[in-house]
Amino acid sequence: MKLQTLKSIIEKKKNKSEFAIITNLKTGESEIFEKSKPLSKEMEVYSNQINEFFRSKKNGVIENSEIFVETYILPIKVIIVGAVHIAQYLVDFAKSLNFEISIIDPRGYFASEQRFPDMKIINKWPNEAFQEIDTNENSALIALTHDPKIDDPALQHALKKKFYYIGALGSKKTHENRCQRLKEAGFSDDQINSIHGPIGIKLGGRSAPEIALSIIAQLVSETYKK
Amino acid sequence: MKNSFDEKILEEANDWVTANQKVVLATVIQTWGSSPRQVGSRMIVNEKGDFSGSVSGGCVESAVVRECIGLIKDNKPCKKIEFKVSNESAWEVGLACGGEIAVYLEQVN
Repeated sequence: MKLQTLKSIIEKKKNKSEFAIITNLKTGESEIFEKSKPLSKEMEVYSNQINEFFRSKKNGVIENSEIFVETYILPIKVIIVGAVHIAQYLVDFAKSLNFEISIIDPRGYFASEQRFPDMKIINKWPNEAFQEIDTNENSALIALTHDPKIDDPALQHALKKKFYYIGALGSKKTHENRCQRLKEAGFSDDQINSIHGPIGIKLGGRSAPEIALSIIAQLVSETYKK
Repeated sequence: MKNSFDEKILEEANDWVTANQKVVLATVIQTWGSSPRQVGSRMIVNEKGDFSGSVSGGCVESAVVRECIGLIKDNKPCKKIEFKVSNESAWEVGLACGGEIAVYLEQVN
């Protein structure tokens, strides 16, 4: 691979674009494939197969050829509401998993740069904050404040946008009350039942890093179920 | 849904090149049967044999390192190598899991 190609791959990953690397295994020559960009003459004959790999987000060698396709897809957006202690560990765990994390918390003393260095922190109420983040059914929400004023608007947004994962921290009692409020707000039982609450898989631990681990484990598991 | 649980190996390769090291990328391009790492998994190796990342669960990495050093010495651009099931001889390199993998080696130049 040419160093120049390597550098543009890194650049494209940084700029959050979806692309594929096409390598001729015989010659070692590789090129970058993007939806809007035409392929080189040499690769044009494989255009259908390359597009198929790209569409299904797969890596592999094109059958009966010496062409290897490697697709790069966007990281999943994870929105954490509540810049609390658990969130600090979540950020740590999620870093090696390549989730794209945004943290929302209107309380400035929680959502500080010092507590979350190099993180995208939106120091606003959820309704305002979600105007700054493009979300869809490939997004995930982790609500951690267990304060209805902050969590509820975020949960409502996530339900409306059909996030594939929605989890909310709080005891069974807290969650029952939360469900009741969402019901009164007009959400269906199916929608409400899609919320993981109390959040996380059962590991048994109650410390902040252990809860964060149980949440991130659930998030990864749900990512692969989808 | 597939997530790109990306391991930032190419970023590391770039750092190594910047530090004037010769770097070979080793990428799993095909697998048959059960294999520890999926297609697209990658490791990088420099001329001294330092490596990062993985193409198996530790089963064939030593052989990949040897091959990569050879590629740099012979100044060849690329090479494809295959690994099959290991037999009973304990020190032979192979995949105990019963799978087969093809690994593509290419120099960064």
